Amino acid sequence: MIKKRRKFNKKQKNSRYSKLSLFQKPDTNFFKPCPLSGKNAPILNYKNIKLLKRYISESGRILPSRITSVSLKKQKELSRSIKRARLLALL
Amino acid sequence: MNCYEHTFIAKQDLPSSQTKTLVNKYEDIIKKNSGKVLKTEEWGLRNLSHIIKNNKKGFYFHIKFEGIGTTIKELEKAGNIDEMLIRYLTVKVKKHNLEENFFEKKDYLENR
Repeated sequence: MIKKRRKFNKKQKNSRYSKLSLFQKPDTNFFKPCPLSGKNAPILNYKNIKLLKRYISESGRILPSRITSVSLKKQKELSRSIKRARLLALL
Repeated sequence: MNCYEHTFIAKQDLPSSQTKTLVNKYEDIIKKNSGKVLKTEEWGLRNLSHIIKNNKKGFYFHIKFEGIGTTIKELEKAGNIDEMLIRYLTVKVKKHNLEENFFEKKDYLENR
């Protein structure tokens, strides 16, 4: 019986949204940094198909940046290189 | 002089002996029109992601070169006429990356 109680207490402490209410700021940070900019960013190119495939949906549409958290500058580059790859029938 | 990359897709029924003559033809066009070829890559036979002019597969060739405006004019004029080509694309780049080849054939694929 004691063990069960402990488990119950742990869950309450660890759950992210336990304290979340309308007038309280959340503890968790929802901001994700851009995966394509920064120091060790991969090369963005119409030839780099492996990278581009991550940013299109199953039906081949370009994913919006609010889902992938790509910065505005890189999203423009990304969409241009995806369209070039489509022209050459690589994607 | 600007840096350019020229990629073109040839039809699948191109005989293997003729691949070199096709590449040489386009290299000569660049050289004649005050251009300079830096590197040529062969990506080999690849599946097209969608059907273009009733073709499912194609040979990919990639040329990196330096040139001026008239070089590309002549290059695209020849590409439009050529019946062996399915499609071509010329892209201007700031700097050439001569080391990395994204479509290099891997060893385990060749040994099969």
